[in-house]
Amino acid sequence: MGSGHSDTAAAFTAHKILIAGGFGSGKTTLVGAISEVRPLRTEETLTTASVGLDDLSGIGTKTTTTVALDFGRITIGSRVVLYLFGLPGQERFSFMWDELSYGALGVVILADVRRLSDCFPSVNYFERQRLPFVVAINCFDDAPRYDTEEVRLALDLDSDVPLVLCDARDLSSVKQVLITLVETIAARRSGVASRTVTPRT
Amino acid sequence: MPPGDKWRRRDSGPVVRPYAVTGGRTEPAADEMLDLLTVVVGTGQPAAADDPARLTPEHRKILSLCGQQITVADLAADIALPLGVVRVLLADLILQGAITVVRQRPAGQRTGNDVLQEILNGLRAL
Repeated sequence: MGSGHSDTAAAFTAHKILIAGGFGSGKTTLVGAISEVRPLRTEETLTTASVGLDDLSGIGTKTTTTVALDFGRITIGSRVVLYLFGLPGQERFSFMWDELSYGALGVVILADVRRLSDCFPSVNYFERQRLPFVVAINCFDDAPRYDTEEVRLALDLDSDVPLVLCDARDLSSVKQVLITLVETIAARRSGVASRTVTPRT
Repeated sequence: MPPGDKWRRRDSGPVVRPYAVTGGRTEPAADEMLDLLTVVVGTGQPAAADDPARLTPEHRKILSLCGQQITVADLAADIALPLGVVRVLLADLILQGAITVVRQRPAGQRTGNDVLQEILNGLRAL
């Protein structure tokens, strides 16, 4: 042995889905809506010191921000556990993204149409990483409604990237987003996976 | 003392800097890949047979949580210590033979389609 590894049979296998998106886009809410356990919250209160760093316009009264990891777990049957990890949204935390992406099945990128540009870094990053992702527009009560195709254009998404509407507070809605993601991952693998990426016109 | 003793409020956080519990070490001693989803478990062997006194309360807390297989992420959450700190302490315990890493699947091998299907079914049933 020597390296500290055992031949102990794994009691379960752990799998990871990332929840990305801009600051205040609802990542924590989404994880909390579906997870078996409340996520580990490592939130810090925004003080006046961070107002210059974290753009607060258009996100209502949110006064805390997730600075570290926020995760929840969903037990699937007896041998599979699915973990949802919220990625720290701000680009200044992007040094953590590489580690968090390691071994991830795929990504849900949450978008807030009032601040669509906040999810540009995530979209860019996961396109480069070639990780399967879906974009979920979190329908905030007071946000304007846009046609999903307008959003697709604005994000310059490939046609095979699913774009869905969701309510991050609602279990069945969040469930549907995750199902869409896992179906996308599965579809990519079966045949579609071998398709070469065609340059966009 | 500035007005309003703001440093004494209950929510002011830990009073010891995170890496104090590792003796200032920030790199794990064992050459282990302790990913967030790495699963570890106690071996049942006594830790540090040579000098058990060197186990800190945090080491003992980790050991007590490793009676069953557990991910590094869950461990860090349960013990409420920063991930980096937990990695250092875990590596100590691995070196001492008290904890072992449970192999999940060959490194780099992606999740099988059967598991994806199981996840899909599980999500639909929620």
